[in-house]
Amino acid sequence: MTIPVVEAHGLTKRFGAVEAVTDATFAVAEHGICGLLGRNGSGKTTLMHLLTGQEFASAGDAMLFGQSPVENAAVLGRTCFIKETQIYPESFRVKHVLRAASWVYPHWDAALADELVAEFDVPLGRRMKRLSRGQRSAVGVVVGIASRAELTIFDEPYAGLDAVARHVFYDRLLQDYGVHPRTILMSTHLIDEVADLLDHVLVIDDGRLVIDADADELRGSATTLAGRHSAVQAFAEGREVLTWDSLGGLATVTLTGLSDAEKSAAHAEGLDVVPVSLQQLIVGRTRGTAREELAS
Amino acid sequence: MTALVDTLPPVPLTKRWANVVRIHVANPWPTLVTPWLIFTAIFGLTYAIWRIVLMAAGPGGVDADAFQYNGGATWILFYMVVVAVQSMNQTFRFAMGFSSTRRDYYLGTAALFVGLSAFYAVGITVLAGVEDLTGGWGVGGEFFAPAFLADLPLAHVAYVYFATLLFMFFLGAAVGSVYVRWGATGMLVFWGAVAVLLVGTIWLVTSVEAWGSVGSFFTENSVPTIMTWSLTVSAVSALVGYALMRRATPRP
Repeated sequence: MTIPVVEAHGLTKRFGAVEAVTDATFAVAEHGICGLLGRNGSGKTTLMHLLTGQEFASAGDAMLFGQSPVENAAVLGRTCFIKETQIYPESFRVKHVLRAASWVYPHWDAALADELVAEFDVPLGRRMKRLSRGQRSAVGVVVGIASRAELTIFDEPYAGLDAVARHVFYDRLLQDYGVHPRTILMSTHLIDEVADLLDHVLVIDDGRLVIDADADELRGSATTLAGRHSAVQAFAEGREVLTWDSLGGLATVTLTGLSDAEKSAAHAEGLDVVPVSLQQLIVGRTRGTAREELAS
Repeated sequence: MTALVDTLPPVPLTKRWANVVRIHVANPWPTLVTPWLIFTAIFGLTYAIWRIVLMAAGPGGVDADAFQYNGGATWILFYMVVVAVQSMNQTFRFAMGFSSTRRDYYLGTAALFVGLSAFYAVGITVLAGVEDLTGGWGVGGEFFAPAFLADLPLAHVAYVYFATLLFMFFLGAAVGSVYVRWGATGMLVFWGAVAVLLVGTIWLVTSVEAWGSVGSFFTENSVPTIMTWSLTVSAVSALVGYALMRRATPRP
């Protein structure tokens, strides 16, 4: 039995009266790409700061490689944390950031870093504070991939990157991951874009972990049925409904946990059976808080 | 069942501290190069003023001690306070994002401060030695060892610079760590407390009529002895900075 690379037990963080993360318990196994998904302000960044020992937990435990990350040089040295809000010293140019990375990360691959810098077209001699948002993100992505840390945590790593650059990131990450397997935890709200990369999915909503599941299982876990209002309503009766939309005499419903037999039955009743994308599923499962926000 | 970390050798302590020092000087300009350029510029201007005064004074010349009092070298002290504050603020948050622990960061940074104090103390003292050998750059000027420093042996000059720089670095680190922990509110409370303490001390010293003893501390003790007392304050500042930074969080 191996110890999970990332673990949380009842992890909670309060800032004054606000609870940013509430009682999070989960584990991320070695080697794999895990998505941490959730809406803006749902607690993703705070959770990542707790996991890397940058914030102190109000209650519960965070563990990296089976040990507390707080002030633990042994586990932090094997961890690379890339975040959009990374601060750079005033005098730093891009080359200084890469130089620092080459000292700090034991598995740093300078040749790979050079390749990525060329591919993202990052100006090495420019001051960090003069970079565009996309260029700053590109520097983070280069460090994240070339560090080859046993655990790499990306917090919304693509801010300001255009669609082409984002796909370069996904491609290069997967390519290097194939040759040098490691554990990657990535927060994002571009769920559809990364859906195919993910092995495991954690969804956090309003500080609470609401989904902790294998990505493949999750993809098969919900189905959308469309058809005549009465037929849809009859079929949905007594089942767990994620979303419900109706327009005129037609209706669309998303249901959880339909077996193949049930899908065939729905089809036989003249309903369209469509698999649900990860994004639709997560929107369905986290929309509750959105409704409450609108109502209040 | 073994923890994953046990299968890989940890990065040795000395390498972690060396990494922190290297991060500080990754761009060597602000800490190692720019100060010497500023020295060159201020010294050049001071020297030019000396020549102008000599020209204006004509054949009668100037008093022997005319060029012995100037504060042209004191800027380095305030420059290093700023370096120290920036270290606790920006560079700390950078290093935390680059997998450092608070402890490694602070100890590595403290080592850098001691190293920089020695580097500048020795550098300035060498220039003070040149100043002596050239009869004050040929014009009786004293820039690198002005005023009371001019009469001290060079070893004492080096010690005064070293201790004063250490004092500035660790004072800056302590003030910077208050800012990192409690932000602008922390600064207001801190400086408010400093003002109250200062006025309170003056009140106390005046009410017990002790100004004479305060004065004699500075006149009766040698300059190196007074500097040694400053090391105590520097050490306390260093400990305060360490205690505060151990619980600091690198918020953006």
